[in-house]
Amino acid sequence: MVVAQNTRTNNPVGKSVARNDVLEKVTGGATYTDDIQFGPGLLHCRVKRSPHPHALIKKIDYSKALKLPGVKGVATGDDFPDLIGLYLKDRCFFARGKVRFVGEAVVGVVATTEEIAEAAVDLIDVEYELLTPVLDPEFGASPEAPLIHPDLGNYDHPNFIFPVANSNISNHFKIRKGDIEAAWTQCAAIVEHTFRIPHVQHVPIEPHVAVAKCEDNGQVTLWASTQSPFAQRALLAKALHIPESDFRVIAPLIGGGFGCKAGVTMEAIPVAMAMKYKGQPIKFRLTREEEFYTNFVRQGLVIKIKVGCDKEGNLLALQNRMYWDGGAYTEYGVNVTRAGGYSSTGPYDIPNVATDSICVYTNHPVGGAYRGFGMAELHTGVDQAMDMLAAKIGLDPVEFHKKNCVQGGDVLATGMVIHDVGIKECIEKVAQALDWEIKDKPSAPNKLRGKGVALAWKAPAMPPNAGSSALVKMNSDGTVTVSVGGQEIGQGTFTAMAQIAAEALGVPYENVKVSGPIDTRYSPYEWQTVASRLTWSMGNAVRNAALDARKKVLDVVAEAWGEDAKDLDIKDGYVISYKTEESVSIKDIVVYGLPKPNDGGWIGGPIVGAGSFMPSYVTGLDAETGQGNRAVVHYTTGAQGVEIEVDKETGRIEVLRAACAFDVGKAINPDMVRQQMEGGFIQGLSSALFEGCQLVDGVMRNPSFVDYRIATAADVPAEIDTFIIEHAQDDGPFGARGIGEHPLVPSIAAVAAALYDATGLRITNPPFSAEKVYLALLEAGLVE
Amino acid sequence: MSFHRITIRINGNLEQVDVPGNLTLLQMLRDKLGLTGTKNGCASGECGACTVILNGDAVNSCMVVAAECDGAEITTIEGLASSGDLDMVQKMILEEGGVQCGFCTPGILMSARALLNRNPHPTEFDIRDAISGNLCRCTGYNRIVTAISRAAEAESAAVK
Amino acid sequence: MNNAHPGLPDFVEYVKPASLEEASKFLVAHAGESRPFLGATDCIVRMRDGIWKTKYLVDVKGLDGTNQITFDPAVGLTIGAAVPMNKVAAHPAVIKHYPLLAEACHWVASYQLRSRATIVGNICNASPAGDTIGASMLLEGVLRVFGPDGYRDEPLNGFFKGPGRTNLKPGDIAVSVSFPLPPQGNSGRYIKLGRNKLGDLAIVGVTAFGYPDSSAASGYRFRIALASVAPIPLRVPKAEELLASKPIDEAVLAEAAQLAYESCTPIDDVRGSARYRKQMVRNLTRNALVDIWSKIRKDA
Ligand SMILES: Cc1cc2nc3c(=O)[nH]c(=O)nc-3n(C[C@H](O)[C@H](O)[C@H](O)COP(=O)(O)OP(=O)(O)OC[C@H]3O[C@@H](n4cnc5c(N)ncnc54)[C@H](O)[C@@H]3O)c2cc1C
Ligand code: FES
Ligand code: FES
Repeated sequence: MVVAQNTRTNNPVGKSVARNDVLEKVTGGATYTDDIQFGPGLLHCRVKRSPHPHALIKKIDYSKALKLPGVKGVATGDDFPDLIGLYLKDRCFFARGKVRFVGEAVVGVVATTEEIAEAAVDLIDVEYELLTPVLDPEFGASPEAPLIHPDLGNYDHPNFIFPVANSNISNHFKIRKGDIEAAWTQCAAIVEHTFRIPHVQHVPIEPHVAVAKCEDNGQVTLWASTQSPFAQRALLAKALHIPESDFRVIAPLIGGGFGCKAGVTMEAIPVAMAMKYKGQPIKFRLTREEEFYTNFVRQGLVIKIKVGCDKEGNLLALQNRMYWDGGAYTEYGVNVTRAGGYSSTGPYDIPNVATDSICVYTNHPVGGAYRGFGMAELHTGVDQAMDMLAAKIGLDPVEFHKKNCVQGGDVLATGMVIHDVGIKECIEKVAQALDWEIKDKPSAPNKLRGKGVALAWKAPAMPPNAGSSALVKMNSDGTVTVSVGGQEIGQGTFTAMAQIAAEALGVPYENVKVSGPIDTRYSPYEWQTVASRLTWSMGNAVRNAALDARKKVLDVVAEAWGEDAKDLDIKDGYVISYKTEESVSIKDIVVYGLPKPNDGGWIGGPIVGAGSFMPSYVTGLDAETGQGNRAVVHYTTGAQGVEIEVDKETGRIEVLRAACAFDVGKAINPDMVRQQMEGGFIQGLSSALFEGCQLVDGVMRNPSFVDYRIATAADVPAEIDTFIIEHAQDDGPFGARGIGEHPLVPSIAAVAAALYDATGLRITNPPFSAEKVYLALLEAGLVE
Repeated sequence: MSFHRITIRINGNLEQVDVPGNLTLLQMLRDKLGLTGTKNGCASGECGACTVILNGDAVNSCMVVAAECDGAEITTIEGLASSGDLDMVQKMILEEGGVQCGFCTPGILMSARALLNRNPHPTEFDIRDAISGNLCRCTGYNRIVTAISRAAEAESAAVK
Repeated sequence: MNNAHPGLPDFVEYVKPASLEEASKFLVAHAGESRPFLGATDCIVRMRDGIWKTKYLVDVKGLDGTNQITFDPAVGLTIGAAVPMNKVAAHPAVIKHYPLLAEACHWVASYQLRSRATIVGNICNASPAGDTIGASMLLEGVLRVFGPDGYRDEPLNGFFKGPGRTNLKPGDIAVSVSFPLPPQGNSGRYIKLGRNKLGDLAIVGVTAFGYPDSSAASGYRFRIALASVAPIPLRVPKAEELLASKPIDEAVLAEAAQLAYESCTPIDDVRGSARYRKQMVRNLTRNALVDIWSKIRKDA
């Protein structure tokens, strides 16, 4: 397949250049983990799972399974007693002694085929003694609740997570700012409401898959569909007591992750099996059903909000109590809770704040990272409350939002002073695009029509010292190879990195290749592909690496030409001298160097630029007040609005059009920014209208596409306006900050506001399914 | 387990394969023939990632028993481009930015190709309808719809 | 809890008999561990799920003319069992004379699934949610069955016994479904409500069919079938009688819809509550009837 390569895009930053990862994706040539061929030696793994939400394991009998021809062996919790976990180390590779959620891995089986392994799983008998499950986070946090982790007090955890021993509370984050009690007395209007946001699933179209192999010398290789190859290396190597350098993770392209492929997920299982059954690769892939009921979820949230403003509509106080349904273990949940806590005001300037963000162990699926990392759930509560308060004080929601949104220089609830943000322009753009002042007539007598708007903010949620690194290798054909450790997960990061490198170096975009797959043996370190942090953090590392390479090139030429490097530049792949107007193609010098004058030897040599980046300024927060100098690196802010119609005969919501605007600092590739806005909005819309894990007694009743519906091409509005606002990020590459997660953050709240505008009804527990809307219309007497 | 010997024409080439009765066409393509461009997203007919063209029409290859494909003609994503030239739907989806993670893409392109083969002038609704069985979690679909519509226009312009 | 296999279990065998007799004998000999299949779309899903433990999947496509659609203007339409829904929906005679059937097919799953799924499979599967069953019943479909005792006809009204249960016995193979010529001046509608617009199983499905008939007191006859609101696809005789007897206006159509509401017995499940389903039966039946009425009324 030959595609015209004759374009040379110089200074590509800010241009919508063609993506560099998509040609092989349209021809079927792109390699995802399940596509790698391992030959006939490949073994397969399947897992016996817990059918109970909370039970003691009394006996495991796998003798029949071992007799099945083709079965190589089994592993249980007793084989791997060590605890693992990204923040709070609270779980084992397989359940030990006790199961804590339906779907928890109890026994792993390895066999020559997937079907034999599955048949063997059916032959395993596990005896349980049932325990009372905890199925509600608010109850779970109370002293009456049965303890899910009696050893919580002994678990390892970092100093910014606050578990409460002898309780089910795995983290309790607090903010106390101003004088909330005094503030209530000043309020002209107060809204107090509880919102319930259900668990939702990520639903990447590629299910999780991983292959692990342990050599006889103890070296382990893991091929996985993962957002976090380096974090997996660190966590798994530690749990297995092997040096990190003996643990290699190879991470091919990912068919969507949205957070569920971050941290250590099901990969722990094939790795465990490989440690026990050495010498052959062992593959484990989740069925779609397992993807739904065993995989990390976006945890449910119960959020109790009290918010008040003065008679002009200026926000005065917010009290925000959040109970996160963290599930049986807390890979990410504790940090989602923390992020929900420090961002708990939403993008509003509120002088008096009291927040309690509480992560609670329950016997539900494990809470993970989900695009937005708590923000969509938070905003579903906060932004609806704001919409209610605007109505109560008699202000148009757009006016209310503009009046109260954060602005550069505001002191946030944590004490951090926020940088310049363009959220006000975002609101204006969205309102304009939706013709906010015009009330359109419904298209038919049986329809109700309305518009709604909601805001969003989100900061990268990560440890204060999450770092990135990059290498820029110059090749003798004039191309440049950029090595990074962040993953191409569909967001286009390889394209953005090539643009940044090309811009910083002075070569055409088309000449820059980004090397994949990510391989912890060869790729430079990257914390994880999460938190919408790559463009900013990895982008800085790439820029630094490119500048390093550039300096090396110029130094060589300067010396060879007897010039000052300051008079030299790289343009379109040529080093040029402003002084002598001489020029030389970089391809002639970056590997073989340049001869010294008068045949006096050579200078230079193969050029490799190296760069890294790590924020140095994020501080801790006080455990009791949540106050600190700088809670986060930055916030990306924005607004979204929708116009909807509600069918009075069925309750179905149809979204007619939508508008999204976000301040991305600088759009490295504007078209890719728009792609994120559109795709993220539709994912958010899908969760607003259709999605929720139906958990009954801890069992997910809809663990398949049959009953967990996501938006199809027929469900989405054809008209989605997107606006890019650019208030530069002071420490971002070319001013950029992230946009990957943000577009789905406000979607549920925006639909809820439009639903209110159309019907006068507040539905505070998404999804706004046709049934829920219809029955609400019925209760309200709006239909007979 | 008994095997069935079947002969198929796949992406233009004749192949003979021995398949057990429990093998689906999807599994045969990926595991027996190494044609891994066709994706498995659910194995239950719901996501469309496994869509191929079987005897002229789009099918979910996970919903077809391989043993019954004797004599069948199959086109997979690997066979969509011909003699080095991308198919019009491939070109347009690239131009429109309708590919992100790319996992749904092969299935979507096969659905789109089958649509344009049977209906060279689809309306926007026809397109949304034809790919409603192809789930995409990344793109929000609209760019894909535009790409297919532009491919239809370009192809009918070429015919004229 | 769902224990779906990665694929079809190892014990599954594919059987391709040479004739209907051979197929029927095989199915009798292996009753309980074999089943006939057409598009296999139900079979593969159920067997992957472990709900069906069938060992022998017996391919009955292409036996005895099951691959054809024939239309005879004097007799009517015959759809071979193996004809996939897309072929049915695109067939000129179906579009011209039986558009209700095409509409119903269109609402099943996705295009690529309908390239395999068949109407006869939909009927034999006997799910209360089957989208094409209502149309097949209202168009007076008759299933032609080859069994251990030879051929017989099974009218669809009366064919369904419960979810997944029909008059079919081991060794029975449906070979086609036939429809008489529909009455002059008819019109039909299938309204399906899913959680999202396309591709879902019906929360509620309403099929309605009407035509002028001077033998009826009202001058018209209507037929109504409901999906997903009873253990079997449900006809609503009371409403049908009402519409034949009382002069028709909007109020009578609404009254008929109310009778549909009263006669259905839905359950609560993951797709919807009984309460919502009943409400939707009323609203959508009314909409379907109003729409049909606007097309068939002679004074229009
Ligand atoms: C993803 C997906 C979505 C779906 N969506 C819908 C939907 O929206 N609406 C809907 O109605 N259905 C839906 N279905 C169900 C299914 O596709 C339909 O029921 C279809 O019509 C079945 O036809 P088939 O030819 O594939 O049947 P098969 O799977 O071949 O057979 C179905 C049943 O009928 C029996 N049977 C088959 N042939 C014969 C015969 N000749 N004689 C006697 N018995 C026979 C089989 O033993 C089996 O019990 C869906 C299925 C899937 C996988
Ligand atoms: S894999 Fe076939 S439809 Fe999902
Ligand atoms: S591009 Fe990722 S699922 Fe469609």
